[in-house]
Amino acid sequence: MTKLWPYFAFARKSFLGQSAYRFNHFIGILNTIFRIFIFWEIYRALYGGKTEVDGITLTMVTTNFIISLGLESVFFVNDYYLPSRIQNGSIATELLLPVNIHGRMLADNLGHTLFQLLFHFIPAVAVSMLFRKIMAPAGLSMLLLFILSALLGYGVLWTISFAVQMFSFWLINVWSIMTLKNVFVNVLSGAMMPLWFMPDWMKGVIRFTPFSSIYFTPIQIYLGQLSLSEILQEFMIQLFWIAALFSIGMLLWKKGQKKLVVQGG
Amino acid sequence: MSLIEVNEVSKSFRVSRRSAGISGMLANLVMPKYEKKQAVNNISFSIEQGEMVGFIGPNGAGKSTTIKMLSGILYPDSGRVQVDGYIPYRQRRDYVGRIGVVFGQKSQLQWDLPVIDSFELLKAIYRVPDDVYRNNLNRFTDMLDMSGFLNQPVRQLSLGQRMRADIVAALLHSPRIVFFDEPTIGVDVVGKETIRNFLCELNAKDQVTMLFTTHDMQDIEKTCKRLIIIDRGSKVYDGLLSGIRKAYGTTRQVDIEFAEDCTVAAMEHVEIKELDAPGGRKKRFLFESRQVQIDALMESLLAHYAIRDLTVSEPEIEGLIRKIYSGEAAG
Repeated sequence: MTKLWPYFAFARKSFLGQSAYRFNHFIGILNTIFRIFIFWEIYRALYGGKTEVDGITLTMVTTNFIISLGLESVFFVNDYYLPSRIQNGSIATELLLPVNIHGRMLADNLGHTLFQLLFHFIPAVAVSMLFRKIMAPAGLSMLLLFILSALLGYGVLWTISFAVQMFSFWLINVWSIMTLKNVFVNVLSGAMMPLWFMPDWMKGVIRFTPFSSIYFTPIQIYLGQLSLSEILQEFMIQLFWIAALFSIGMLLWKKGQKKLVVQGG
Repeated sequence: MSLIEVNEVSKSFRVSRRSAGISGMLANLVMPKYEKKQAVNNISFSIEQGEMVGFIGPNGAGKSTTIKMLSGILYPDSGRVQVDGYIPYRQRRDYVGRIGVVFGQKSQLQWDLPVIDSFELLKAIYRVPDDVYRNNLNRFTDMLDMSGFLNQPVRQLSLGQRMRADIVAALLHSPRIVFFDEPTIGVDVVGKETIRNFLCELNAKDQVTMLFTTHDMQDIEKTCKRLIIIDRGSKVYDGLLSGIRKAYGTTRQVDIEFAEDCTVAAMEHVEIKELDAPGGRKKRFLFESRQVQIDALMESLLAHYAIRDLTVSEPEIEGLIRKIYSGEAAG
């Protein structure tokens, strides 16, 4: 347990560090609320007075984007943690600390994520729910399974970034591939458009990518669309992606360290 | 087995080679060219427990690269580094908790936080027991006269203050081995003196083994007995500081003031410089002690000229090092 102390210290520092940017923070909450309302207006217009399209009700869609935009605001991953340190040479002092780099990165991100959950997600979702009806979770057990699945979803999002960040050992500027990654995450995870509305062939393709495990799996569980055996299967898929992407990231880390060039003397 | 063993270690980097301008950029885009730069070339040395060793060389000689390999940051291409039973780069996480490293050019402190907060964070990271932490903090801050700025954010510190804070940060977990990479860079004379005294005391009292790089020869003269010089990736000298004079300080300089203006005929192996106008009274004679005997030179001069005054000077260490760097010295 004492082995985890350094990581708690990192998470704590990152958590406390967030409170320094108060103005930025309030604007962030407003931003999330605005996005929820804009999405709501768009879908209301698309539904054109109907209550149901392809068996999907407007309330389901509303629930989907409130939760996915909420989760998006919570799930903090610093895509440039490693790239910026490699680019400015401070990777050297980073490597002097007697801790694992992945533990360090995760602790830093989790501290930030916890802050976002308490002071961003909860207020933003609470305010939105005052004005727009959102479906209740399909039972307490589904709520708990939703939380578990959301944690695994964060794991998938984090390991994707972790693996992609490792390319910065070979490319000094990873901005382009990071942007590409984020487009995939935004479109294919169901964060922007629920995957229900995607054409069938596209759904088939997305099944074989890690992206739908990030937001869409937890939301489906929340809405009670999956049976218990399907939920179990989804958990396996999420765990598989976490393990696979993490292994790729670690492999690249090991290789990259040998190639490391410390910039600036 | 010494505490620090560096065995035939080499490290090279691939640097992109690009000609200037738009055409250079386009050529680089289509077919990037790379060039291998040998940063460290087959270096070996060993350091015993409790030694304090100066590690010097001109810019780009490979000092920092060597320090980074010793600290577990960089992997060598070939050869073997072993410190205190560890292979630094392979066992990095366990190893770095046992050493301290100060990079003069890269701060390990949190830029936005007060110095003391960075120290507290390091205490948690290294899991330093409370009493050890208190003890080290009080002692070091006292020795380095830091109590005045412990609560100031790092970004508001002067360079000298920041350097002292960085040194303490690297020592809070009581490492037995410390590497310093230019710990006095950009620090004023008084600050340098404080840092030197601190390092000497740490070495003498706590038997901390130290290796440090610097460009200031006074740092070395005031702290180290032993000196390792590297140049273009290779070791050119490893021995006592006093040994430098014996090995390289072979040039003698004799300044002579003659009784009257004169011209001295050229002599074999002796370089004559006019200190006044050509044909004036003051002249400088430079020669290698193994080629010319000073008594023979004086004898031949006194036979022809009247001499009013003369000074014989030994070369300064700094000048010798400069000669070693520029490759003049016949080692």
